[in-house]
Amino acid sequence: MRCAEAERRLSDGLDGTLAPRIEARLEAHLASCPSCRACRDGLVRLQASAGRPVERSSEYWAGFESRLEEKLDALGSGRAGEARSSFPARRRWAFAAASVLVLAAAGVWFVLARRGSEAGPAWAYSVDGLAPLMEEADDDPGLAGDLDRVVRASLDELGPAVDVEAAALAAADPFFWESLTDAELGAIASGLEKDPGLGGPK
Amino acid sequence: MDERPESGLVEEAARGGREAFAELVRRHERRVYGVVRRMAGDPADADDLAQEVFLTAWKAIGSFRGGSSFYTWLYRIAVNASLTHLKKKGREGHRAAFDENALAEGPAGGAPEDPAGSSETVELRRRVDEAVGRLPGHFRAAFALVVDQGLSHADAARALGCSENTVSWRMHKARKILREGLRPYLEEDRS
Repeated sequence: MRCAEAERRLSDGLDGTLAPRIEARLEAHLASCPSCRACRDGLVRLQASAGRPVERSSEYWAGFESRLEEKLDALGSGRAGEARSSFPARRRWAFAAASVLVLAAAGVWFVLARRGSEAGPAWAYSVDGLAPLMEEADDDPGLAGDLDRVVRASLDELGPAVDVEAAALAAADPFFWESLTDAELGAIASGLEKDPGLGGPK
Repeated sequence: MDERPESGLVEEAARGGREAFAELVRRHERRVYGVVRRMAGDPADADDLAQEVFLTAWKAIGSFRGGSSFYTWLYRIAVNASLTHLKKKGREGHRAAFDENALAEGPAGGAPEDPAGSSETVELRRRVDEAVGRLPGHFRAAFALVVDQGLSHADAARALGCSENTVSWRMHKARKILREGLRPYLEEDRS
């Protein structure tokens, strides 16, 4: 084992992820290499100097919880409870909303972010296609505003069964997309493939 | 103390149960605060971020499927919120490159929070905190989860949305940067 590899393995070793076989090789190297032993000692000291919990008083936590309660109250617990009252029903509208949101985002992507380029439909197979759009929207208030308007307008078209605020909130949360199954994502991708305006068959 | 299993609390909270969610907050607030404090550095920012994390969790808990641990899910919200915060504050540009000289210039100010231990130990801890605070955001996040919170690479990978190999590499790079910058204080014996 060379020193460069040993240094990398030392880091894994401190995190407890070294396989026994590699650990044995590392130990053999350390036994014959003062430089890497010094490196290990430094890393151990570094590790010992970090990793302690941040202490706050019990009064702080009581205040923290109280302020959070107030904010949750302000959000409207009734609406949150209603939105979560029926998981299967929520899943149904979430799926519908997801389809529309992907379409809407795709529209914005093509119209605003990729104007003039020849983007193929491959991105539609993955929600990764949304990530750069959302990242760009973070830095571009104009794009963020356009995205928001298109998404909300698309959700409005779904009718009164959809809580637009809740759906927009969910769509802005990466965990919402992660919560969709492969089958649901596949269905969304299939829908996109069929749309000539989004890279599907002309 | 509420001894209900976490999975039950999550299910109840997902149905709109505020009391169940409050219990989840009590169970995880310190760990979440620890992550956002490490990421943001400033206590006031950390307080705001921790509140934001739990508000986001409340809004999105219906989408949590239990594929990973609830705390991993929370950590992911915390890291994402922190990275967005750093981006907004424009700190990333200033901290993207670790400035070894900045360490030698001395502390940015403020007393150490932990008075325990020798002055030498306290001084090293403060130096380490400052140095970690200068790491690029993704390295800092990995450090916060693995070293501060004791997560395995696998759990940290889930929380960071990357592979275990990426976590391993980020930890290696973070340690390398820290060790280089803190070498005079780590007193590495090269004999």
